[in-house]
Parts: sequence; structure tokens; C-alpha cells
Amino acid sequence: MTRSLVLYAAIGLSMGLLAANFISTAQGQSAVARLAYRERKLPNGLRLISLQDNSTPTVAIQVWYKVGSKDDPEGRSGFAHLFEHLMFKETKNMKSEMLDRLTEDVGGENNAFTADDMTVYYEIVPSNYLETLLWAEADRLASLSVDDPNFKSERDVVKEEYRERVLASPYGKLGLLIEQKSFTVHPYRRPGIGNIDELNAATIDDVRKFHDTFYRPDNVTMVVVGDFDQKQLDAWVDRYFARIPKPAATLPRVTIKEPSRTSERRYVEYNKNVPLPAVAVTYLIPPASDADAPALQVAETILSEGESSRLYRALVYEQQLAAVTGANADLREDTGLFVLQATMAGGKKPEDGEQALYRELKRMQNETVSPAELSKAINQLVTSQLRERETNNGKALALGSAAVVQGDASRANSEIEQLRAVTATDVQRVMRKYFSDTNRVVIFYLPESMRGKEGE
Amino acid sequence: MKIYDSIFRHSIYKFLCAFAALSVLLTPMISQSQQETPPAPSQPRPARFPSPVERTLPNGLRVVVIEKKDTPLAVAQLLIKNGGEVDPPALAGVAQMTASLVTQGTATLSAPQIAETIEALGGKLESGATWDASIVNVDVEASKLNQAMTILADVVRRPSFKDEEIERLRQQTLDGLSVALEQPGTLARLVAARVIFGDTPYGHALTGTPQSVARIKRDDIVRMHTNIYRPDNAVLVVGGGVRAEDVFRLTQNLFGDWKKPNETLSSTPVASMTNSASAVRSARVVVVDKPDAGQAAVVVARKGLRRSDKDFFRGIVANSVLGLGYSARLNQEVRIKRGLSYGAFSSLDARRDVGPFTASTQTKNESGAEVAALIVGELERLATSPVVEAELAPRKSALTGNFGRNLETTEGLVNFVARLALQGLSFDEINRYVGNVQAITGEDVRKFAGARLDAKAANVIVVGNASVFLSDLRKRFSNVEVIPASELDLNSANLRRASPNAAVK
Repeated sequence: MTRSLVLYAAIGLSMGLLAANFISTAQGQSAVARLAYRERKLPNGLRLISLQDNSTPTVAIQVWYKVGSKDDPEGRSGFAHLFEHLMFKETKNMKSEMLDRLTEDVGGENNAFTADDMTVYYEIVPSNYLETLLWAEADRLASLSVDDPNFKSERDVVKEEYRERVLASPYGKLGLLIEQKSFTVHPYRRPGIGNIDELNAATIDDVRKFHDTFYRPDNVTMVVVGDFDQKQLDAWVDRYFARIPKPAATLPRVTIKEPSRTSERRYVEYNKNVPLPAVAVTYLIPPASDADAPALQVAETILSEGESSRLYRALVYEQQLAAVTGANADLREDTGLFVLQATMAGGKKPEDGEQALYRELKRMQNETVSPAELSKAINQLVTSQLRERETNNGKALALGSAAVVQGDASRANSEIEQLRAVTATDVQRVMRKYFSDTNRVVIFYLPESMRGKEGE
Repeated sequence: MKIYDSIFRHSIYKFLCAFAALSVLLTPMISQSQQETPPAPSQPRPARFPSPVERTLPNGLRVVVIEKKDTPLAVAQLLIKNGGEVDPPALAGVAQMTASLVTQGTATLSAPQIAETIEALGGKLESGATWDASIVNVDVEASKLNQAMTILADVVRRPSFKDEEIERLRQQTLDGLSVALEQPGTLARLVAARVIFGDTPYGHALTGTPQSVARIKRDDIVRMHTNIYRPDNAVLVVGGGVRAEDVFRLTQNLFGDWKKPNETLSSTPVASMTNSASAVRSARVVVVDKPDAGQAAVVVARKGLRRSDKDFFRGIVANSVLGLGYSARLNQEVRIKRGLSYGAFSSLDARRDVGPFTASTQTKNESGAEVAALIVGELERLATSPVVEAELAPRKSALTGNFGRNLETTEGLVNFVARLALQGLSFDEINRYVGNVQAITGEDVRKFAGARLDAKAANVIVVGNASVFLSDLRKRFSNVEVIPASELDLNSANLRRASPNAAVK
């Protein structure tokens, strides 16, 4: 890899790439601007992270609840996500879909997402609507009064979402299998989208209980980024949120730990709408807050970011074994997954894809990556962070995720430094530590026509 | 944290940040005892958009720069003013293959060297064809733009089109198609294009079909490149944390000696398809029976309009009432009121020539017919009953809000400006857009829908497990054609593969 870079530098010079062409000289490392946020906690436990930026007349509001799919009640897989949909229905002071009236109808937008560890609601609005939205977010935190017809209708929507993501999409079910087969006891084994039977089992009583249990001010991190006046924002937050009482009950937390794996496990599944065989290999990795997390992120980038990445170069470009490859350091609040995937090229065997993935892992374990390759990965991570942080909502996402998943908002500002501090030896060390044969789960997801034929 | 691991309330549209030129007053809530009403908004602050500046090089290359001083990023997009519409009829996908191949090797650099160089800068280089355009785009830190643009110029001007790379891309395209054609939604949109446009240029699949991709030869690709990749058929748009003068100087160095061929640029081939869409026979109801489909994809489609149409703003406002965003009529009726789908939307894709109007959704197979009838019913309602101000104003806000959010990122700004340049429109449109939208009335919408979106001329396409919705569909629509997925032929307007017997004859 180093060689081709040197080669290009020489060609570049011969092409007349002169210093005079440079728009601005890029000396040394490029900086990602610090997010000069403020953090405060209300007496009821609600945490507010705010970042004033008056350059555009818009503001992003994100409300992070520390409750996710891992908190789905027993026998109610998919419930946290279904509940997230219901948060757009009636409250004490709002009719169903009122949030859309306050956002989309005035030129803004809203959405929400449910992940394993959290549920996040956000609005991006013209900044003159900030107070209105703070009121609305406080209102649905304080109360939810969805009725049965609305509950059932929205549950039907979620079932259609399941069908669209899982049934109609050729590799939708593979995503579910990765969760189900990778964890043995941790609730991460239940995919967030749930399943039709358990969605059908949910009742409106479950909805009330869930709101009472998890939707409380001391379980909230609110992030506001954009066009506001700091004193005014603080006053509004006090006015609308401070009056919500903190319940006496303790917040239930998932305490179950996924045990280390002791031997390889393998699964094969078939489906009619699968055109090309696919392989997924997963490894358990430590939580997002662990000291090894940055090295794992760098490893992910080296393996899978762009056409110069190792997996693309080896499996797609050179060996032409795979149509698509990917690596994902899926870091979570608790034990996470490092997932390697290959969708085979037409006529290629999944067994060969699996071995090719292992060859790339072995290379990372046996040889240290070159300084050029390491610096390429850091540059890719920096640019992608700059891209994310171009908007108020992107900045809020960076702050919220640092605060909630890693437990400290300041990690949003130290993340790049931590990535830059990763050495080639660190990458090699984490590759050796986590990518062992006994720490892997292997899933083959194959066309129905291959049933009974694989291995031939 | 990776957002793609999460599941969202609704599918994410292409815009991700906000806009605020509007002040729409909230409808007061009906006040009941102890109920609160939301605090009213304060005065809005106006949004300002950066203004593009431009120069044209002597070889005809138009260079447009948008300075956006607050960003450390830059995007450079080279736009060729032709794309999939100039594919020869038997060679669907050749413009797409040509665009994809330019980044896969030049006279001096191999594909891996190009990727290494761009990615070492932390940048991304992407290329592809769309309708009316082929695009090569680089996205990088502003301080590294000149190295990135050096590569951009090289790949656009001197692609090598090595046989080895052509074969590699051919296999990747075939594999990609095998996956895409398993998706009921993708299949329904491809069928819709054939139904609306028949055998005219917008009718085929942009990435081709397994049959056409297999036929494409190196000569076809080289010819496509020679014909359309020329400075007088290109626009370079650069935006972000850059200075216009620096970009103009850099462009002169990198593209100044790009020779314009002696042959005049033939008037764009697409001009010959004027009104081709209207030549297609009357509305069809096409079912593609795919028994293993996990859902039915429903598309209601007909010809829409040209970007240059005087009714363009009436059209996009009408579409915003019908199917833009979460709260428009289609999503209200299909998702919010009935729980029949994760989302139902429509789009009016205005192209150089008449583009498609498409309303689409996915639903459980059992409700395929019901949803098709609902969508057609909404199209009829739009043409027959007036749209009241209380509904119209919020939909216009949703439209202008999207517009504003798109312009907040460097990438969005460059895309919008490049699109204007492609269509030959004035950059003043950036500042006129909101006013143009606001000027449209409810009566304009109704008239437009009656004249231009008449439901009687709308085609209905349902791809799914026909055994559970076909009899219901036949009760609601006449002339239902059923094509088993195994016999579907996207290479012709007929859509049906000749039977084996016919082939022997």
C-alpha cells in the first residue's frame, strides 16, 4: 500500500501538481473544531447539554432517553420501538401528531429512533419555534394518553415496518440473525424491531407501565444546538421541565452480562428471496467506554472504509469473491459486536468468502499496519466527523451519543485525539485480543435453492 | 454511534437540517380545563443563502463556485449534461457503466491507486449516471481540495477503460441487479418506468438489465465517453470553505487544456423524445406476481412534467399536498389513519424532458388492492376538491423547509446549484424558490391536478404475492394484466418475455 502511494506522489509531480495550485496549504493535522457546549443538571435529574451557534436561524433539539430495545419487557420483543412511535400520539395537552404540526408544518422536521441502549427524539425547527418545542417535549415526557384505536393502528404500522425491513428486503432477516445468534443471555439477543407475535401481544397497559418506568426526568439527556440565547434557553428549560417530578422508584437497569464465548458456533439459514449467499462473522467486543474502543474503530476503518480498504481490495477487487463486504465495530453501552460480512459474487461459495475474511484478519494480527495506512484511516475518520458536524443536528448527535453511550459529553471533543493516539501496535493488539477462533459466531444466509447442497 | 443500526419512526428523507424563512401561526388548540396551549413562536429570523459566482473557460467548461466560509469541507462536482437518456436502446446501462468506470483507472493511475490517493486525503470520490446527467463528485477537507481535484480532472479526462475493469464492473452490476430485482419496491419502480415511457429513453433501467449489461462492449463505453464527456457539455460546481479566485485558478490549470472536439456537440439526443410519454398507450394496471414477496409494492405512476415547464411550481406544490413528507395526504390515509404501511409518498421528478410522477408504498400482500385504490382515490380528490389554506400553508412550509435544509450542507448546496446549472436555470432561483412556492394557491393545485395528474391516465403497478390480492384488485380495476415474475422482461414496453415456443418460431 505504501508503495502505491509513493508511486502516485511521483506521478503527481510529473503531472505538474505544483505548490502554486494549493488552495491553502495543509500543514500538519487538520483540526476538528471543539464543541463549546454547556452542561447542567436540573434538580429533578434531567441533564441539559447546550451549544449556542447563531450562524443559521435554526435549532436542533434532541431528547435522549436511556431506554432501548434491551429494555423490552419479557415476551414483548420490539416494544421499546413500538413505544417510540406512540410518543407522537395524544398527551395531556396535545392531540395525536401534534408534534408534526409544530415541526413539519412550519418548515422543520422531526424523527425518532430506537437503538439497543437508547431512544432518541429530535426536531429541527426554525429557531423562533424553540420554546414551542421545549414545551412539547416536556409535555410528552410528563404524560402520554394514547387510546386503544390509535395504539392498534400504530402497531399495524410497526408490523408493516417489520415486513418492509425484514421480509421484503432480501437480506433483512440476516440483520436479525446477527443479533439473535450473537448473544446467548443478554437482551441484545432480541432484535429491536421485534416480531409479529410479540407485537400482537402488547397492550395499552404495557404502554402506560413503560412510560411510568422509563420516561422520567432523571432518565433524560436533552441536547439543544443552534440559534438561541443561553439565558433564555435555560429559563425555558426551567419553566417547562423543572416542574416534572422525579419518581421515587429506582430505574430498572439491565444487569445481565453476556458471558465470553468459549467455542465457535455456526448457523445456516435459508430464504427464498436471497439471490446471493451471504456470510456474517461476529466477535464480542468490549463496551463503547472501554479503552480499546478507539483501536477497534480504527481497525473497522482500515478493514472497510472505501475502495482502498482491505476487505474491498481483497475480496471484491482482487479475488472477486464478494459483491459487497463490510466491517462494523458495533460498540454499545454493554458488550458489543464486531461484525464482518460478505455477500458473495455470483457463483462464489460462502465457505471461500469466510476463509477470505479470516485471511484479512490474520494479516492484521500478524503484521502491523503501515504509518500511511494508519494515517489514511485517521483522515477518513476526521472527514466523516467534519461531515457529521456540519449541521446543528449532527453536532447534537455527537454530544448526545458521547454523553449517553460513553457516559461523558466531553468525549465528543476528545474522540479524534483518542483516535489519533491509536498506534499500529494498538491495532494489532486488539486484533489479536478479540478476533480469536473461539470468540466467533458464523452465520451463513443462503438462497433456498442451496438447501442440502452446501459443502458439495 | 451508528444511526443505521437504529430503527426510525419514519424513513429518513434526503434532508437532515432545518430552515426558517417562514412564520406560520399555530392553529390554537381547543382549550379544555387545565389544558395548556403551546407557547407561540417568536419573530422568525431570515435565512441567507450563499451566492454562486461563475466563469466559463475558453473550451466551454462552465465553472461555478459557492463560497461557504464557515465550513472546513469542500465538494467538487463535475457534471456531464447527459446520462442514462442517451443509452442506445439495446444497451441500457452504458452511461452508468461509463460513469462508474472513470474512477477505475486512468492513463497513469490504476483503480487501486486512485482509491488510495483520494482516501489518504480522507476524501471520497464517487461517480455515476442519472437521468440527464453523469456525475463525478469528490468530497474532502477544503485544505486538500487541490490534490482531490487533480484526481477528479484525471479521471474525467483520461479514463483508461481497461478490459479487466469493465469485466469486474459488469459482474458487480449483474450481482447488484440480482439483489435489486428481488426487492418488490425496486421492481415496481422499474416496471412503472417502462409502463409510462415505453421504449423511449426514460423507459429503461438506468443500470440496465442482466441482458443489456451482458451486451455492453468496451467500444460502446469509449464511444459514450467521447460523445458526452467534453468541456462544452460539462459544468464544474465547487462549494465549501474555498475562495472563488483560487478555484478558478486551479480549474484553469487542471481543465484549461481539455480540448473541445471539432465535431459540434450534437443537440442532446433526448430532444428527440419530446412528449414521447404521451405517445404511450392508455393507462395500464400491471401485476407482477412474485409469490415469495414479503410485501406488495404499489406504485401509481404517470407522466409528470419537464423542469422547464411553466407549471413546475404548481406541480411541486400539488405534489407536496399529495405526498411530500410525513403529513401529506397519502401518508395520512395509508399510514396514519389505516396502519397499512410504514410510509406512502409521491414524487414529481421533473427532468429535461417529461419525467415521471410516482406515488408509491409497500403494504402487506393482503392489502395490495386496497392501497392501490386509496392512492388512485387521492389523486382523484386532488383534482376535484379544492385545497383549503389551512392544509396548503403547512404543505408549502414542508416543501420550503426541505429546500432550506438541503442547502445547509456543502453537499446539498453543491447538488442544488449543479441541478440548476444542468437544467439551464438562473441561480437567482435559489432566492426566488420560497416566493415561487408561496405564490401558488389552492385553486392552482386543483387545476394542475385536474389537467396534469388526471387519475384516469395513471398506471397502477403492484408487485407481490398476487394470489392474495388479485381478485380484490380485479373488483376495483379493469384490464388487469398479470405477469409472473419469472416471465417479466424489463427490456421492452411489453414487459413479458416471449414464450419459449414463440422464440423457436
